[in-house]
Amino acid sequence: MKNVYKLSGIDKGHRIESRVLEEQIQHAVASGERNLEIDAAGQHGLGGRLWSAGDEPVNITITGSPGQRLGSMGFPNTRITVKGPASDDTGWLNAGAEIAVLGHATNGTANAMAQGKVFIGGNIGSRGMTMTKANPRFAPPELWVLGSVGDYFAEFMAGGVAVVCGYDPQNPDNVLGYRPCVGMVRGQVFVRGPFKGFSQADASLVPIDEETQEWLFTNLKNFLEKIEKPELYDELARIEDWQLILAKTPMQKSATPRMSMQDFAKNVWESELGAGGLVGDLVKVERETIPVVATGEFRRFVPVWEDQVYASPCQSSCPSGIPVQQRWAMIREGRVDEAVDMALNFTPFPATVCGYLCPNLCMQACTRNLSGMAPIDVKVLGKASINAGLPELPPLSGKKVAVIGGGVAGISVAWQLRMAGHEAVIYDMEKKLGGKMSSVIPNTRIPKEVIDKELERMAEALPHVQLEKKLDQAGVAKLQEEHEFVVVAAGAGKPKMPPLPGIENAATALDFLGKAKAGDVKPGKSVVIIGAGNVGCDVATEAHRLGATEITLIDVQKPASFGEERKAAEEAGATFLWPVFTKEITDKGVALTNGDFLDADTVVVAIGDAPDTAFLPETVKTVRGFVEVDENFQTTDSKFFAIGDIVMPGLLTDAIGAGRRAAMAITAIMEGKRPEALEKPQIDKTRVSMAYFNPRVREFEKVDACAMDCSSCGTCRDCGICEAICPQAAISRVEEPGKRFEMVVDPEKCIGCGFCAGACPCGIWTLVENDPMG
Amino acid sequence: MQADTIITPSTLCVKDLPWQIAWDKDKCTLCGRCAAACPMLALELAVYRKRVIQPPMGLEKAPENNFESFYGVRQKTNPDNACVGCGMCNLVCPNDAIIPMHSDEADKLRFHNNKGGIPRRRGGRRNDPEGVLDRIKFTRISMLTDPALDAGRHDFQLSTLLGRVLPPEENLKLQREQGWIPPVREIYPLIIGGMSFGALSPTMWEGLQMGVTYLNEEVGMPVVISTGEGGCPPRLLRSRFLKYVILQIASGYFGWDEIIHALPEMKVDPCAVEIKYGQGAKPGDGGLLMWHKVNKLIAAIRGVPQGVSLPSPPTHQTKYSIEEAVAKMIQSMSMAWGFRVPVYPKISATSTSGAVLNNLARNSIAAGLAIDGEDGGTGAAYNVSMDHMGHPIASNIRDCYLNLVKIGKQNELPLFAGGGVGKRGNLAANAAALIMLGASGVQTGKYVMQAAAGCLGSETDRCNICNIGRCPKGITSQDPRLYRRLDPEQVAQRLVDMYLAFDTELKKIVAPLGRSTSLPIGMSDALGINDYNIAQRLSIDYVV
Repeated sequence: MKNVYKLSGIDKGHRIESRVLEEQIQHAVASGERNLEIDAAGQHGLGGRLWSAGDEPVNITITGSPGQRLGSMGFPNTRITVKGPASDDTGWLNAGAEIAVLGHATNGTANAMAQGKVFIGGNIGSRGMTMTKANPRFAPPELWVLGSVGDYFAEFMAGGVAVVCGYDPQNPDNVLGYRPCVGMVRGQVFVRGPFKGFSQADASLVPIDEETQEWLFTNLKNFLEKIEKPELYDELARIEDWQLILAKTPMQKSATPRMSMQDFAKNVWESELGAGGLVGDLVKVERETIPVVATGEFRRFVPVWEDQVYASPCQSSCPSGIPVQQRWAMIREGRVDEAVDMALNFTPFPATVCGYLCPNLCMQACTRNLSGMAPIDVKVLGKASINAGLPELPPLSGKKVAVIGGGVAGISVAWQLRMAGHEAVIYDMEKKLGGKMSSVIPNTRIPKEVIDKELERMAEALPHVQLEKKLDQAGVAKLQEEHEFVVVAAGAGKPKMPPLPGIENAATALDFLGKAKAGDVKPGKSVVIIGAGNVGCDVATEAHRLGATEITLIDVQKPASFGEERKAAEEAGATFLWPVFTKEITDKGVALTNGDFLDADTVVVAIGDAPDTAFLPETVKTVRGFVEVDENFQTTDSKFFAIGDIVMPGLLTDAIGAGRRAAMAITAIMEGKRPEALEKPQIDKTRVSMAYFNPRVREFEKVDACAMDCSSCGTCRDCGICEAICPQAAISRVEEPGKRFEMVVDPEKCIGCGFCAGACPCGIWTLVENDPMG
Repeated sequence: MQADTIITPSTLCVKDLPWQIAWDKDKCTLCGRCAAACPMLALELAVYRKRVIQPPMGLEKAPENNFESFYGVRQKTNPDNACVGCGMCNLVCPNDAIIPMHSDEADKLRFHNNKGGIPRRRGGRRNDPEGVLDRIKFTRISMLTDPALDAGRHDFQLSTLLGRVLPPEENLKLQREQGWIPPVREIYPLIIGGMSFGALSPTMWEGLQMGVTYLNEEVGMPVVISTGEGGCPPRLLRSRFLKYVILQIASGYFGWDEIIHALPEMKVDPCAVEIKYGQGAKPGDGGLLMWHKVNKLIAAIRGVPQGVSLPSPPTHQTKYSIEEAVAKMIQSMSMAWGFRVPVYPKISATSTSGAVLNNLARNSIAAGLAIDGEDGGTGAAYNVSMDHMGHPIASNIRDCYLNLVKIGKQNELPLFAGGGVGKRGNLAANAAALIMLGASGVQTGKYVMQAAAGCLGSETDRCNICNIGRCPKGITSQDPRLYRRLDPEQVAQRLVDMYLAFDTELKKIVAPLGRSTSLPIGMSDALGINDYNIAQRLSIDYVV
């Protein structure tokens, strides 16, 4: 070789610093030296960065021991040959130099190499060919290793070609070392000889095509020449010994290499456990999933059309049990007469009581109140019922019942018994039937002709009446023998009189009201009424009508009066005085314990009436003066029933209802049946929707208006809203001849949303939990 | 809720509820799906009345007063039907017309859901989104001081040991003498904590087991799962998959006769046996599976008749001291499998954990100690137990670990921490924090339910109705209409995804510590926190 410029790493027996040797090399090249021979002594970075030679090749031969990073940052003009082994990081950040090491190289060989070639004539240590690059502007870098490579080979390799020939390897069982190709993203690794895997996630084995084979063997020849072992070519150039590992593309990496869960479930899971998996032996396993919004048997909730299952609040609060709402339904359907007549099935006095005298508990219970709306006015219908026609009466069964007392209760029970086909005979002490209703209640509260008309209608049905009959125990015993049952409806006709001095100066309320109605009493200007209840109020109203101007009601406590009676008394100018206590009654008036004296032309005692039960047999028990009965109004003597004020003071409608209930029980017993259970439960009012009605309607004048604004609680009014609102069109109206129509749900369409229940004006639909599954 | 109705002390309005339904009239098509999907029946179709008054221009005539009705979706306000915020309505709404919104102030419902004198019960977790685990930072980032690793590309072996690890000299001596060496399992450090067959639906339970099996057999991660106290399906007991299962025995002993009957037919030993003494979510409160959840399947697996309520007492009845409890139970359970299976107790975190630990340390065969902190979850418990009972896990596990260090047994008796691991989604960070505080591994349940099955529960009291069997995702229900919403294969797949992601995150944390083949158990010099008192309490760095 000509013009060889020699350098040594040893000067006068001492190793020179890497910096100094580097200066010498750079100086030599800059001075035009192109062939250098360096006897190295462990100096760092020999042969790199020789750009000062420009395009002219620089050949460097190294003897001795090169240090780390031989040829680092090498330029394409540089060719380095190391005669022996090399240290760590040979060819580090190589940018184009060709480096041949005839012996082994240690760790980090070709680390971060971007261009150029590194030829190793032996084995290399760990982390060879790591973090290499391939810059599109230049040819890719190459690393050729004759023997084997150490652990973590080609880690994070990002380009270039590595060829591991596996000739005389350090570890004959594994020429690629432990865990090669981890994080490899680009490039090829040719390998000859056995190896124990590589990162499957990052690279894969590919077949070597002819073109690649030609490249490999052409360059193999060159490599062997560089490391001065051309004789090995024939042994190494056998294609069947070679394998090629190629970095996976990002696309290949993202594809899952694992078994799909579906296959796993079938091929692994169920094959070990059996069909149906974990619990296939215990239950029938169905794998199809169910949607959140499901139909048919998979609905969590199902709608139910509860038509007429519950009683409307008006009906269930009416002591007489009149199905008020059913009557409005008939009116809506145009069957006004039927609606009017129907009342007679429940009461003989639909006009007198419902239309005038009843405080109308049905209206108090009306669902509309809950929304602050005016209740449907049953008085309108009650008054219209004056024209109700007597239904055709059934033929008599031959069974007879005696009714003691011809007041409202007695008439009611007799009326109901007659409707059921049994004969009821009323015994009364008075000249006329009707009890307190006809004899005591002032005409101001009810036109006389209304009562008379209803009594006439009643008389048509009950022609056999024994008036002015006063019964004693013997008489009653006789009645009992002659009749199936005796119903005691004798009322409470014994006025309570307090044991006060001068009580004889006072009249009883019953007496006063009776005489007032008959027109044979003159109360004078001032009247004092002891007891400010509703009867006391009636006395006040009548006294006013008869000319009294100073009317005082006194009571020992806050007056219990209410409603129409109280209003009428107040309008009559009556004064309410309480709490005051009477000391004495004189012919001048009433002396109070507080020292006051109330002048009075008339003093009336209105503190209530007690029943007279002396005529009843011992077997009929009483409690605190009233007859004891069960829920069917049967007394402790099974032959005797008792209803009305003799059982408990109450409203007219209570007496009518008791009569009906007792008649039903008696009829049932006579027919050998058990008395029927009580009425249906009342509907939950919150199920009913009021938003369909005009809240500004505050009063009703005609029955039609009432009927339209009745929400028909608990009974379907056939409005079709549910059919329309159902989002699934699952509801349809079905009507079979001779039967009431029905709203029907198609379970295959229904999703169980409950919109039908939400929209229903009548509260018919409800949403219930579906039958349990599994 | 109608304003003009009569009120009772417990009459609530929408404003009083914790969750309020925002419904958009313009978007709603009245399709009914929200009401059909609501687990609480909280939604109903409402009829509204609209009043329109039209005064004529110039006021020449009297104004017209018109009413019209329209429909809308309304939320009920009675406590039984109060919205729980699950959001199923929103999920099924085709028009995004409905969504539950959390109240802007403390609700009033809490004062009224004690009807009949029964305090509130629920499922879920403590209603407290805060926690110390999330505040712990990993402050030791080794770039030059330790060999730093690449979490994304390096291979890691992040397994831990479950079992009594003898000191090397003792182990070698026993090997020489062919003596009995306690069984030790190499498992993945994230264990699926005990959730019983019964508390979970059959589809959820199967999905988790399938996922665990897949992780072991297809991914190569040795993940194990505890059965919880409710027995184990007979097929699983007799399969090779049993080796991935920790069988739990608790105070109710449900399903154990079926396990005993399966003993002669077992192909493999279970991973371990966990003796449950307590649960972090409801310390001092036993489990209760209501009779309506005890259907044919549950009955068969638990070995009980159908349709009876299954209470577990808060304590095991035949143990009267720590010594006895430890000795008797560990001995019996070990004996069942010929002393080949690790047996360890699980307790709820408590200020008395140290006493239990000291007993275990003296016991020669105890395989470890699992401690469940106050943030653990449960299918059903009294609200008061959940919200106010229990001990935070961080200081408890730390104290126990330092105790072991004091007696030189920190490498012999592994501690497992649970309760709120990943409760705010930071599963790997919380797990790593606990490991560096001294846990050999962590147990998690709620995170699994959320990640693998879409559980909707939260620390702000969303959903949390696991106790009533109406889980809208089918995770905790025994009603086929609900649990068949869940596909076990999809649960399994999600579990696999969850574990792979956890694994990468855990590597991201331990790689800078230079750990790739052993967990940094007790490596507390890597931890810091920006609270001086917590730092002092946990003996970790105070960093700001």
